[in-house]
Amino acid sequence: MMRPAALHAPSRALVLASIVLLAACGTRDYQGRTASAATVATASGAVDGELAAPAVAARGAAWLPPNAGDGDWLMPSRDYGGTRYSPLTEITTANAGQLQLAWTFDDGESHYGHEMTPLVANNTMYIVSPFPNRAFAIDLTKPGGQLKWTFEPNPSPIAIGKACCDAVNRGAALYEGKLIYNLLDDHTVAVDAATGKELWRTKLANVEDGTTMTMAPMVVDGKVYVGNSGGEMGVAGWLAALDANTGKVLWHAYSVGPDTLVRIDSQFKPFYSWMRGKDLGVRTWPANSWKHGAGAVWGWVTYDPDLKQIFYGTSNTGPWNADQRPGLNLWTSGVFARNASDGMARWAYVFTPHNEWDYDGVNENVLVDLPMGGQTRKVMVQFNRNGFAYTIDRLTGEVLVAKPFGHENWATGIDPKTAMPIVVPEKHTVPAGRWVRDICPADIGVKDFEPVAFSPKTALFYVPVQNVCMDYKGREVGFIAGTPYWGAQMTRHTGPGGHPGSFIAFDAATGTKRWEIPEDFLVYSGALATAGDVVFYGTVEGWFRAVDARTGKILWSRKLGSGIISAPMAYRGPDGHEYVAVAAGVGGGAMTQASQKGFPARGSTYYVFALGQNIPAASSPSAPGGTGAEPKKEGGKP
Amino acid sequence: MSAHGRNGRARAGIVCALATLVALGGCRGDSQDVRGAAVGDRTLPQQQTKVVLAADTTGLPNEGALAHVAIGDLAGIGNNTLDAKVANPYANDMAAIKAGHELFVNMNCAACHGYDLKGGMGPDLTDTYWRYGGSPADIYKSIFEGRPEGMPAWGRSIPPEYIWKIVAYIQAKGGAYPAALADRGRQGDLGDDDTTSGSTLKGRNNVH
Repeated sequence: MMRPAALHAPSRALVLASIVLLAACGTRDYQGRTASAATVATASGAVDGELAAPAVAARGAAWLPPNAGDGDWLMPSRDYGGTRYSPLTEITTANAGQLQLAWTFDDGESHYGHEMTPLVANNTMYIVSPFPNRAFAIDLTKPGGQLKWTFEPNPSPIAIGKACCDAVNRGAALYEGKLIYNLLDDHTVAVDAATGKELWRTKLANVEDGTTMTMAPMVVDGKVYVGNSGGEMGVAGWLAALDANTGKVLWHAYSVGPDTLVRIDSQFKPFYSWMRGKDLGVRTWPANSWKHGAGAVWGWVTYDPDLKQIFYGTSNTGPWNADQRPGLNLWTSGVFARNASDGMARWAYVFTPHNEWDYDGVNENVLVDLPMGGQTRKVMVQFNRNGFAYTIDRLTGEVLVAKPFGHENWATGIDPKTAMPIVVPEKHTVPAGRWVRDICPADIGVKDFEPVAFSPKTALFYVPVQNVCMDYKGREVGFIAGTPYWGAQMTRHTGPGGHPGSFIAFDAATGTKRWEIPEDFLVYSGALATAGDVVFYGTVEGWFRAVDARTGKILWSRKLGSGIISAPMAYRGPDGHEYVAVAAGVGGGAMTQASQKGFPARGSTYYVFALGQNIPAASSPSAPGGTGAEPKKEGGKP
Repeated sequence: MSAHGRNGRARAGIVCALATLVALGGCRGDSQDVRGAAVGDRTLPQQQTKVVLAADTTGLPNEGALAHVAIGDLAGIGNNTLDAKVANPYANDMAAIKAGHELFVNMNCAACHGYDLKGGMGPDLTDTYWRYGGSPADIYKSIFEGRPEGMPAWGRSIPPEYIWKIVAYIQAKGGAYPAALADRGRQGDLGDDDTTSGSTLKGRNNVH
């Protein structure tokens, strides 16, 4: 892999600052511009000069799959720890304002939302579309990117109507020459990354029963980890491990049911006593109702190669109407730590026991080592739908910090002894059958699946935040396979302050917000952090922004063709330069705001940006600064 | 969590709202689904009429003839079991509309199409956009046969008279066009006065 010309700002004065100092600087929230006025904002009151955090042993960012170059991106989060941090440094806070459009690609599936992240390896970009889940390989060595192959899996259209929240897909994983991803109709496929030929396809469930699959697999050490969707369809959630070479199913670990199904044995040591006991996945439910209790596994899987454990969250409890399922309803709306090899559970923690509000626990669990209280703690950090950011000891499952990272009013806090939420009495939705007003957040959470990024240089998390509340009424519902097992009616409204979204920097060691950029639309995109100290995110209106990782100053914005609900990524092109790619195709849970004035139409385009001076002349023959590349007369191609 | 004092009232996720459906297999234990109930001899409502082509003098079918083939059948789904112009025997029957509403909620139609019929996982049923036709008989067929993008085939578990009552409820909510206007609806030629909702027809006055 070629190395780029070093573009580190020579004048950068690295001032070592302690976490304490950073915290003091961060008490001022950034008065960011909103989308309507945003081009380049000046950060009044922002920190002058540059600060560097102490070298954080951010293991997560360093845990890369074998043979991953620094310009590659082999899985949606880039690294096993889930940081979405790129070590590329060409795009900096000094030059991000010169970003220009390099090329675009359209997958043609604008009917459905685009929640995936492109992958790059071997000078090839890989993209998976929403239903019908076509895969594309794009040759980056050709001007403007040339389509190398297209794979058409032709999944069953029945799946469209079984997906609660749009026929989306959250991406693929590259592993030993295979592109591995899930089809909406409950199959996992492996495709030869070189040729686009199908290598294997494994059926995981019957789509007619209401199960779909939307999550991106995690592939580690010959195993493919996949989970189901269908939290609104009365499924029982599971994570399955498949053999990466053959597609053979090795084991299933359920989120509900007896210990044998949940893969719980004597190794299982939850930190809190209310999660200890036999068969709690059955005994915390009314008779047999765990069978339709959801705990679907539709979010992200992360992996700690030292512990050889995987971490993933479980979805909402089913049905939403909690009146029909008195009990703690374990292990839904929580997180599992499991042995990667055999799937046996090591610990679990349930964020929202007896979930009455659809606060899924599926958000990404980012694995980092943070300096806390004078020592370095191995933690996992989850920004939960319920509005609390949890910093959890990933060895034991002990909750170290649990603080709100956006507006919530359903709980006054998390009990430090039991780690249970302290629920505000008026916000209980049981008994059902009556409207409960102004519960914050709404079902879509203070943050949904859209993933955060973490920079080991700043030791900060970069977090998309939603400010949407709901009026909610539980409704009695019966189970009929293949139809929703939902049991709720609701209306949503923007929360206090009038901004439905914002983008924040958050210190998970202390549970404090450092800066915030308010937005006039939902922020429902993932984030990207880079070693150039530039962080990227997008809005549902379609603004794609580059911001200073330390101050929150908006360095650059570009309005794309549709709303952004995917997560951006960065790669090094064959020319050695840094590129940033993101999909614009609004859909999914963002459609809950579709009646907002100015809400964009759907789309299906990937946009790739680079510094203007680096965009090959061949892609833009008339661009100033073009070097050489005379257009040939014959054929009309440059 | 027993924090709400729900003294263990276990409903096991099954709400049998209509006793008649229990007997007919529409509401079952949780190890079974709604499929597989015998349809028997109630596949066709008695209102079915025979399609008769007009006398052909040109070698081409006359203009109305093609429209007798339901749109869903052109898409390759189901059989042409019902003329699109058949009227709903329960249209405007208040008791039937009320029963249809209860079925709409209890058979989980509301979960996909919305308690207000404005759509969600499934399409809006109050507008005039119908992929498989919006006459009462077209809607009956879509419920009976199911449709490719996830709509279950309810003909397997809900008897025809109950399906017609669900259709009556949808008609009462404005999401249908009159049987006599089936051809016009398919061709995008409905006028302001042609449906009770009129929501998507502003300014259109297609006088034929």
